[in-house]
This record gives sequence, C-alpha cells and structure tokens, in this order.
Amino acid sequence: MSLESYRCDMEGCSRCSSCKWIPLAQIRSQRWSQVCPSVWHNDFHAYSGSGKLNVALSILDGRSDFDESAADIFYACTMCGGCDVGCKVYRNDIDLTDTFHEARARAVELGFARLEHLQLVENMRAENNVFGLPRDERADWAADTSLLDANSEQVDILFHVGCRFSYDESQRDDLLAAVEILRTTGKRVGTSGTAEACCGQRAYECGFDSELHNFGDDMVNRVRTSGASMVAVACSDCFGAFNYLYPRNGKDLGVPVRHISEIAAELAADGSLVGAFSTPNATAAARPRVVTYHDPCHLGRRGEDYAGEFDGPKIDRPDNTRRDGRGGRYDAPRDVLKSLPGVTFVEMQRVREFSWCCGAGGGCAEGSESFSIAVATERLEEALSTGADTLATSCPWCVTNFTSAREQMRADGDHREIEIIGISELAARQISGEVPVTITTTATTCEEAAT
Amino acid sequence: MSLATDLIGEPIGADALSDLRSAVGERWVRTDPHVLDSYAAQPFHKVEVGVWIHRPIAVVMPGDATEVAAVVKACNRHHLRFKAFSTGWGAHAGAGFDNVVQIDLRRMNRILELDIENRTIVVEPYVTCAQIQAEVMRHGLNLHIHGAGSNCSPLANATSHMGMGFSSISMGYSPRNLMGIEWILPTGELVQVGSFATGAGWVSPDGPGPSLRGAIRGFAGADGGIGVFTRVGLKLYPWSGPAEIEVSGGSFRGMQVEIPPLNGSFMCIFSNLEDYGDALYDIGYAGIGYAQFKAATGLGLAIGEPELFRRIRDEPGFREQVRAFENQFIVIIGGHTQEHFDYEVAVLGDIVSEHNGTMNSTDGLMATGRGGLWWAVIRNSIAPGMFRPTGNFYSSMGGDEAIANALRQATVGEELKEGFIAEGSCADDLVDNAHTLLYENGLYAHTEELVLYDHRDREQNRKLKGLSDTVMHSIVERTLGGGGFSFFAGAYAHEVLGPHMENYHLWQRRLKSALDPEDLSDSKYFINSEGVEAAGHG
Repeated sequence: MSLESYRCDMEGCSRCSSCKWIPLAQIRSQRWSQVCPSVWHNDFHAYSGSGKLNVALSILDGRSDFDESAADIFYACTMCGGCDVGCKVYRNDIDLTDTFHEARARAVELGFARLEHLQLVENMRAENNVFGLPRDERADWAADTSLLDANSEQVDILFHVGCRFSYDESQRDDLLAAVEILRTTGKRVGTSGTAEACCGQRAYECGFDSELHNFGDDMVNRVRTSGASMVAVACSDCFGAFNYLYPRNGKDLGVPVRHISEIAAELAADGSLVGAFSTPNATAAARPRVVTYHDPCHLGRRGEDYAGEFDGPKIDRPDNTRRDGRGGRYDAPRDVLKSLPGVTFVEMQRVREFSWCCGAGGGCAEGSESFSIAVATERLEEALSTGADTLATSCPWCVTNFTSAREQMRADGDHREIEIIGISELAARQISGEVPVTITTTATTCEEAAT
Repeated sequence: MSLATDLIGEPIGADALSDLRSAVGERWVRTDPHVLDSYAAQPFHKVEVGVWIHRPIAVVMPGDATEVAAVVKACNRHHLRFKAFSTGWGAHAGAGFDNVVQIDLRRMNRILELDIENRTIVVEPYVTCAQIQAEVMRHGLNLHIHGAGSNCSPLANATSHMGMGFSSISMGYSPRNLMGIEWILPTGELVQVGSFATGAGWVSPDGPGPSLRGAIRGFAGADGGIGVFTRVGLKLYPWSGPAEIEVSGGSFRGMQVEIPPLNGSFMCIFSNLEDYGDALYDIGYAGIGYAQFKAATGLGLAIGEPELFRRIRDEPGFREQVRAFENQFIVIIGGHTQEHFDYEVAVLGDIVSEHNGTMNSTDGLMATGRGGLWWAVIRNSIAPGMFRPTGNFYSSMGGDEAIANALRQATVGEELKEGFIAEGSCADDLVDNAHTLLYENGLYAHTEELVLYDHRDREQNRKLKGLSDTVMHSIVERTLGGGGFSFFAGAYAHEVLGPHMENYHLWQRRLKSALDPEDLSDSKYFINSEGVEAAGHG
C-alpha cells in the first residue's frame, strides 16, 4: 500500500467530526465524550482523524509539502484507532488509521522519523527488543518457572512473552501469574527463551514497515519449530500484531492467537481459574475492591481478527470486512474480573471499541512523553470518577503508562489513590487472598534498565 | 490553476499576524499550510466541484468572548475578513473568500449554567447537542436537536443556520428556543440580547433589554455573515425517560435499546399523498407527538442496510414494492404519565385510521434492532449516516410552508430529481426521499429534497452543480414558495429568491451594511452587500 492508495479515503471525509467523539449514541456526559487524544490535546482540526486526512490530501494535491511540520501532525497521534471507530459508525469507505500509517511510512522515507523512533528500531535490530537491553537477558525472568524450551521441545502453547514483560521487573508478578494461568490449562507450555524477539508492532506503528516483516518472519519460524497449536500472549500490542497486522502483511502463524484474558475467562467459566492460585484460606481473605477496566487498544479495536481485503470499491464494503472495532476482545477480561472474589466491577463511560487510549501507542511513549502522560492522566481521571480503587487492564504498556501518569499526578500534589494492575496479577491476588510476589518500589523498569 | 491548488491566497502579513497573536496568545494562532488546509477541506454542502474551499489566511482559537472581540477588532484594523467556526461541518462553516481569518471556537466549550427549575441552559459555541442532552437527561430534561445531528453545536444552529429537527413537532425550531444571545458584532463590539443583559436571568430572548433576535436570524440565519455568537441561553423541555440509555449491539446499525416506559415509536403508512398530508395536519391540530419525521424508504435502507438497498434498487419488482411505502412517516410518542402516553397513542391511531392508514411499532425495524431507531431519533445520531451510501449528499428545496404546499414542493422535488438521476448527476435512491418534518406546532412542514452523490466522482459533481440552480428557479417559476435549504446555495440564492419573498434580501442587506460596513464578516452564504453580481453564481 502507499499513501496515494488512500486518496479516496482522504477525499471522502465529509468532516462530520464523528472521528472526534465516542459514537453519538453512546455519549453519557460532556466530560467523557471525546475519543481522539490527538485533537483533545492539540485542538486544531488538523490533529483530528479528519484533519490528518485533510493534511495528507493537501500534500498529495501539491498544496503543501511533506515537511517537518506535516510529520509533527502525523506523529502527534497514539494510533489508537478511536477515530476509526467513530467514523465507521457511519462510513464503510474510509480507513483513517491505515492512512496515518502510510503517512508515517512516508515520513520515514523522507527522513522525518523521530529520533526516538530511530533509536527504538536500532534497539530492535541490535538486541531484538525495543529497549536495547541485552538479548541474552530476555529470558532471565523465567529462570524458576520450568517452562518448556519451545526451541527444542514440542509444546502445545507457545507463550510469546514480549519485550515489556520480558524486561520490566515491575510487572513480574503479572507475568508470573499469566504463566500460572497457562499452566492451569493442562497443556504443555513453552517459550522461545532468548530466541524470542520483538513482534515488530511498535516499529510498524512508527512507520517502519520492514521491521514488522523481518520480525514477523522470525516469529513464523519459531511457531513452526515449536509445533504449538496455539500462540498465547499477555501483551496486547503483541496480540494486535499477531492477530491483525501479521495476516494483513502476509505473515501466517498457522495457529490461533489467544490473549491471556481469553484463556483466563475460559478457566473462570469452568471454575478452574481458582485452581491456578488457590490457597487454603483463599476466598475468605480476598481484599474488597472496586475495579474498573481499561480496554487496551490492541486487544480491543485494533486487535480484531483480520478478515481480508474487500475486492471492490470500499463504498460497497460489507461491515465484516472493515475494521470497525466491534470484533475486539472485550468480554473476556470483564468476565474474568467479574468472576474474582472481592471484586465489585464498575464501568467507565468510554469502554470497549470506543475506549480512551492509555497514550503509550504510536511511538508516543517514546517520542512524545508529555502528550503520552497527559493522555494516560485523562484516563486515570475517568477511572477515578467511577469511584474505583483499582484500574485493571490487559497490557503491560498500559500499566506502565498509567503508572507513570499516577507518579506525575503525585509529583503535582494529587494524591488520590488508585491501584494500577494487570489482570493476571489481580486474579492471583484476589483468588489467593494474598500478594503472590511482593512488588517493591525498587523494581526496575525496562526504561531504567536501558539507561 | 488546477482545482486542487486553487483557492489559496497570499500569506498573512506580519503586522496582522502579530495583532492576532496579541489577541489570543501565540499558541492559539496557526498559519502553517497543513493546519490551514484542514479548515479548507469542506466537501459537504458546497456547490463548487471538489473538496477544497478557500484556504483561510490564519486560524485563531480564542478562549472567551473578550478574545473573540479582540480578534474581530484586529481583523478590522487589517481589513481582513473573518469567519466563525464551531463544530464546523460543511462549506458554509469555512472561508468563502481569500484573506479570511478562521475563528475556531473549539476552546469555548463550557456549559455555563443549567437552571433545572426554569428549564434553561447557557452554553458556549463548542458544546454539542449530544453533550447537552446527556447532561440534562439526568435532570428529566431534553433539548431540541436540529436536523444536522447531535454532533453539532446548538449555538451555531440556533443563531445562524435553519434549525428544524425530529423534535420540532414538540420543541419548535432552533431559533424559537433561544433565551438570550451574546454577540460580537462585525466591528468587534459586544452586544447582549435578551433579559440576561439587564441581570434578569435567561428568561426572555426579547427583553426587558433590546431584542434583535429577528435581525440576527431572519428565517434561515446568516451563516456567520453578521459577526460571532459567543454564548446563548437555550430552552429545555421535559424528558420522561431514564437518566441514561443503555445501548448495546452497536452504535448505529445493530443498536439495541430498551424503549423506556411512556415512550413508543410508530410508523404510519398511507396509500396516497393526500391522506398522508391530511394526517399530518390532524396531528398538528391535535398537538401530539414528541418527535416526527418522514423515514425515507430508499434513503433509510441505503443508510441502514446498504447491501440490501443495492439489491432492491437493481431489481424492478422489489423496487416498486418498496416504493409503495413512500407515503409514510414516523411519530415518537413520549408521555409524561401513562394516561398521557395512552391518550397520544390513541389519538395517533384514530388519525391514521381516519385517513386510511396503518400504524405499527418500529421496534426491530431494519438494521437498527429493538429500540435502536427510537434512540437514534431521540439522540439524533442519524445525520452522518447520510454519507454511507455514496460519500456525500446535498440538501435542497425545503418547503417550510403550510403542509400542503410543502408536500407540493416535495412532489416537484421528486420530479426534478428523477431527471438528475436519469442523466447520472446523482445516485438512484428510489427517489421518494423528501425528508419531512412538522414544526411550529404542526402549522408548517419542512421538507428537504436530499440528493445522494459522490463528490469524488468529478463528472457527477459537475453535473450536480446545476441542481441547486434548477431547484431555485423551479421554486420561482412554479410559485412553490419557501426556499428552505435552497438559501444555502450561497448569496446568489438570496438574490434569486428574495424578489419573490417580500424582498427580504433588501432588508437583510440594509442590516448587513449597517452592522458590517466594511463587509468583513464572511457572507459567502448570506446576503452580499452589493447584489447579485458580487454574490457570484453558485
């Protein structure tokens, strides 16, 4: 694809601004009615989904140049796809985020890539992870887990850990809980150890398409080597990459991809999730919590099953071949949370396919930190408005960004409390009635390790 | 120049830019071409071919009325035109000329007052109908949402642009609901219109202070041609439904909603247009209904079930059967008590029966599941769906007349559109889509002849350009009365229609000249101060 191939999408925008709002039928308050972090933060129309289409068309029509100023607009976006959802309530013929992706790819071609994104890609090329941490330390976390080595042993489930979980000690409890959930399936579970590499998603979103292709080929080979009948992930970015971006870019893993929340939901439904973490004094000791849930973009609207390309004019495209977000994984994590002892579940107003983004995506956590934290802070405000004392989510990148935002709030003198936690760890805590592994404030994040 | 690079003027001068920055702060002024072009891409409701309108010379984003006034005064000092922009949907929101400063009011997004007891709300320009409705429903109140939909600014609509909508049957049209206006004149002076100007609250739009509501609005609104409106009071209406509506299954197609008690949605079908019109008269006389509109058969299908629509359209047998449903409309009943609800349903049933019609609940109708259509109408989340079938649409004609005459316009509109479809100027939509609303307590009907087309099809776009002229001249030549949305074919439309409507355009021109002696408030879509030649053609 190319930027030019989306000209019809750009010209088709009627500027109704549905890209700025959660679907009109879903608006329950003025405060939580916006869906696009980019225009929310930058205000001028150019930063909205519609506006970015206008900017791209201006360039294609020769009215303006693709320069640093244009690149700034395309990069001031978390690529969360919220605009796409609002638009596709009404339109079958416009793909906003795909257009932005092509604009970013063009920015890379023209030399306007962000320095931070170049560093990210360099890290991936050098060490197979986005942080540039030593590749031979990737599996250190698993030293005591006795997981199978999928490079040499036949496994049923290949657990792709992902960069964030592999290196971020502060999220170790969530990762270990995910492993326990996988073990509870009774299947043979293994990882690729130090041979595992980044899924390529974060580079792809920054406009570096070739990284997705290169790392995708590696992943396909690892899956084949393992003999697995399923790839499991606990990271939503990896899920979105494997479930949508890979097949769209011709990378066939050959097996289904499941997120840990889906697997946990199945175990919760048949009553066996409790077995993963139960202790003698299990349910009685569960801490009462009011929990709200944040839908990660790449498990939700950006993580839909790839349904192929429609062979015809987009205006005639059936709903089931569009990426309108409704096919994301929304019920499974909620089913898990509702099954947990001690949990009172409450919803925010912006949920499911029209969820507000955590701010970490689209290269913003790396290249636009203040914007990224502002977006996360807005989500924390929404979570706090529900009366929740716990914000659960299903992605380590979301957890990281929310944690950073909460720290910034504290630094700014806002000491309202809300615990941010991954869904696997929360299941472990609520079912076991205790904290499985103590998280200390000195736990090393991968950003700290990389510096 | 090619179409794509046309309509780009000279950059703004350094002194003017400095003045604008002083008015609102440097962060809130943008002149980079990418940002400017995002305000120049306005393919909707424009008569010119293509996507682009005039590129503004700068975009400024004031934070309050004082800053708006400062911007307008800066424009006066540098003899620059200006154009206010709130939710900004359509070419009439953008620059109509070169050297226009676009005043984007997005930062003015506050709900300033909500008076539950007196049922009024005071808002700034960038508050949308959906936001207000969500906020006031929890207090048992609702607002009139104009036809463009709940994604739009009620301030912009009530002060500047038509204003009929599904709820007009019970809540009037937008200017009727104004309870006071704060207005920056084209010269930059701030004027307050209505009782709030004397500290008496937002209880009357017409006094005890001076009333200029008629001058501001006229019938159709000035579309930014006489200054900037920065604050309005709006009348609210009772709402008997719940504080929040639970929506599942989708947000438009497939939307599932439980219709609350005391609410119902009914499709009324008649065998001919005469019975249809007589029933509308009787509904108006009876004073029933919370919302009402004609659900165009072909258009409704094209929006809700595009694949099914295409199959029906292309199959002559189906096509005729579907067109048999042409004479129908939907009435939503919202009772305040069970007795009230039962009474209105019974009266509606009697009226439909007396005119040989049938009446059925719309629950489960088409792609919108149970209750979906009801909520889509109450929230008015339908309008952007008009773009689904072909990418764009145009609204013309518009009765705004006694019901019989409005329906006569609709009949002529169908005839005209048949011709345009035959020559490939617009899409075949089964033709029966004269959108029809009752308003002014049922005394008037508003009709719009909606035309589906794709502006990306340049040939179709060029051919369609003749439609607005044809419609306007048909209104005059066939003495159909009421120009409705034809007014928004640009200033030229006023010159054509004015002489046949008590020369309203001459009066409006005098007002425009008095209020805007330098002609700086962009009147591309309003009265031009110098007449038809200056207005340009289309």
